Amino acid sequence: MVKQPTQSKQEIIITGFGGQGIVLAGRILGMAAALKDDKESTLVQSYGPESRGGACCAQVVISDDAIQYPYITTPDVLVCMSQAAYLKYYKSVTPEGFLLTDKDLVKPVSDRDCFSIPSTRMAEELGRKMMANIIMIGFTTAITQLVSKKAAEYAVTSSVPKGTEEMNTKAFNKGYDYGKSLLKGRAQKASGKKRANA
Amino acid sequence: MDNFKIVLFLCNWSPHAAFQKLQDLSFDIPAEINMIRIPCTGRISKALLFKAFEMGADGVALAGCSPGTCRYGSGTENAIKNTQDTRDILDIMGLGSERMRLETFLPDETDKMYQFLSTFTSDLKTMGKTPIKGFRSDEIPEDPKQSITKIIAEYDAYACLDCGKCTSSCPLALSGKDFSPRALVTSLIEGDITSETIKENIWSCLTCGVCYNRCPSEVNFPELIQKVRAHTTKDITGQNRLTHGGFFQSLMRSMTHSDIQQKRWQTLPKDIKTDPDSKILFHGGCAPYFDIFFRNHHKVENSDILENALKLLNFFDVTPAVLENERCCGHDLLWSGDRNNFLKLAKLNQKILNDSGIDEIITACPECYRTFAHDYPANGIDLNFKVTHLYEFLENEIDKSAVTFDGPEGRFTFQDSCRLNGLDEIKDLPRKLINRFASGNFQEMQDSKDGALCCGNSAWTGCDAYSKALQVKRIHQAKKTKSDFMITACPKCRIHLGCAMEDPFEGGKLKMELTDLTNIIAEHICWE
Ligand code: SF4
Ligand code: SF4
Ligand code: SF4
Repeated sequence: MVKQPTQSKQEIIITGFGGQGIVLAGRILGMAAALKDDKESTLVQSYGPESRGGACCAQVVISDDAIQYPYITTPDVLVCMSQAAYLKYYKSVTPEGFLLTDKDLVKPVSDRDCFSIPSTRMAEELGRKMMANIIMIGFTTAITQLVSKKAAEYAVTSSVPKGTEEMNTKAFNKGYDYGKSLLKGRAQKASGKKRANA
Repeated sequence: MDNFKIVLFLCNWSPHAAFQKLQDLSFDIPAEINMIRIPCTGRISKALLFKAFEMGADGVALAGCSPGTCRYGSGTENAIKNTQDTRDILDIMGLGSERMRLETFLPDETDKMYQFLSTFTSDLKTMGKTPIKGFRSDEIPEDPKQSITKIIAEYDAYACLDCGKCTSSCPLALSGKDFSPRALVTSLIEGDITSETIKENIWSCLTCGVCYNRCPSEVNFPELIQKVRAHTTKDITGQNRLTHGGFFQSLMRSMTHSDIQQKRWQTLPKDIKTDPDSKILFHGGCAPYFDIFFRNHHKVENSDILENALKLLNFFDVTPAVLENERCCGHDLLWSGDRNNFLKLAKLNQKILNDSGIDEIITACPECYRTFAHDYPANGIDLNFKVTHLYEFLENEIDKSAVTFDGPEGRFTFQDSCRLNGLDEIKDLPRKLINRFASGNFQEMQDSKDGALCCGNSAWTGCDAYSKALQVKRIHQAKKTKSDFMITACPKCRIHLGCAMEDPFEGGKLKMELTDLTNIIAEHICWE
């Protein structure tokens, strides 16, 4: 079930609504790849009315080689943090790609397999709704292995405001652990062990 | 092979006639047999049967009247049940069920009696001596008055303001018992430890800690009581206040012997994975013994908590070790005043566990947790590994895992465990876990958390009409929440409250399902 990113180029769309830190999330992923994982990366961000709560989108390309064209139409990884964003993009993700969503904000309308995490709820539990994007980065890192955990953690701590590094690392790990656990749970389910008490 | 000790409880009626004839005819009755004449085998409780083993008997025989000939009707029937229970307990203890036998006789069955006694004796000699060597009585400190003065100072009972808040919040006093913690503290300070107040009250307290939460001077009443009980003299002993004839204390004292080889985990289902080399040890506690002891009473089943705890560990990828010869933590000895044997047991546990190379012990029992984590160190018994309550493990795992709950259906309420409520690091965990699956179906009882009514008994001491009244009051509170079941966090709450539900006067009105929190989680947790 878990696919390793085999292609030398990965195209990622992170999308949601303004104020969720979508662009920052895109930048962190790109930074992780470029600064620590020895790869090339580009980021295209959508501004405009979107920053006032409308749809918001970050397009990230991560590649082993130089990137010629930064725009994306069929992402390998699609991260959706709102229902509108999901509806707009979910059909575009490549068949073998990853679809990741916020569990409480996105109600899937197709049976296309998706990995979901209650990132906003978890961020609220940690005391800051703002950190949902960081949780999502942790989750994406665990599920897709687009970037290494170390690189992502580094990019998180160097992108967030001074003094909040520890809190954000915690959020990142929360998402990361959840992702790992989801993969483990899927493996257990596949081997027939869905429950503690069969 | 001398000094074998065999106790023969011989019923006064048919078996005695048969036995007398053996003597009249100068049969060669094995010299190892110590005959005790009793009015009826049905009156020999499990506590008495086991007491003989605790005192070092190699075998115990019950000779009763043939079925249908019991003078009192149900004697033989009771004896059969008690024998079966005791034999099964001897099996887990590792002494072997064959050390306890029951046979029934008609008055003229002299040969059968002779056969029975000689076969039993020779079988016992083949089995060898019991691993329980010598009786461990509770020794008494030299000058109890002196030690009690020290205890009062240690717990700062001199700071008592005589305000009476303790008595007005004590669930036992509120259930109508003539019992006053305030008066008890006052009498202790006065120093006459043989006074009636102390004699009576020191054994009544449930050590639940509600008063401690209210006391403006923070007199730690439960621990004060625990210490004072350990320093009382023979004439104010709590021996006669032990419930079930002191059976459980006997059982626990027996575990202070280093040679016993228990067989605790024989019936563990095959799908539960354990690993003898694991650095994590799961400590089950004495529930398997309780289950056998009470199986004819109100069908207590607490071993399911142990199995479900192991299933949950497996679910989260932990394959723990379990110890076949696991010993009791000593909680009930400590709290019922037998400090010497508590220390013996604790030191034995310390040696075995510290030498076993484990990093962590996980237990689902509140008493085991408290005893290992707090009372051992407080008594100078240091352990070289971490002690974790299963709830800590679960909260930590669930918090970072993609798991969900597919139930339970229905409404529920929660019975606080006094031992967990007394510990800051754990007291909030049961509700935190409940909240993970509750989804609006949870209702607190009128008294909850720091003011919760306890299950009415502690360390198998002082069960009386007032603890019954307290339990009935608690169950009524639970009923009032309109819950389908009461979630418990301690096997003993399940035992004692379950017992109260059998109340003959209230009939079926008190019936309510009692389910342990560990069981609910294990039954309903699943991967996303
Ligand atoms: S510990 Fe409980 S039973 Fe004992 S005096 Fe205090 S409130 Fe009463
Ligand atoms: S509540 Fe405390 S101070 Fe008040 S009477 Fe009881 S022990 Fe004394
Ligand atoms: S409540 Fe029942 S089970 Fe508990 S000690 Fe009393 S009699 Fe025994």
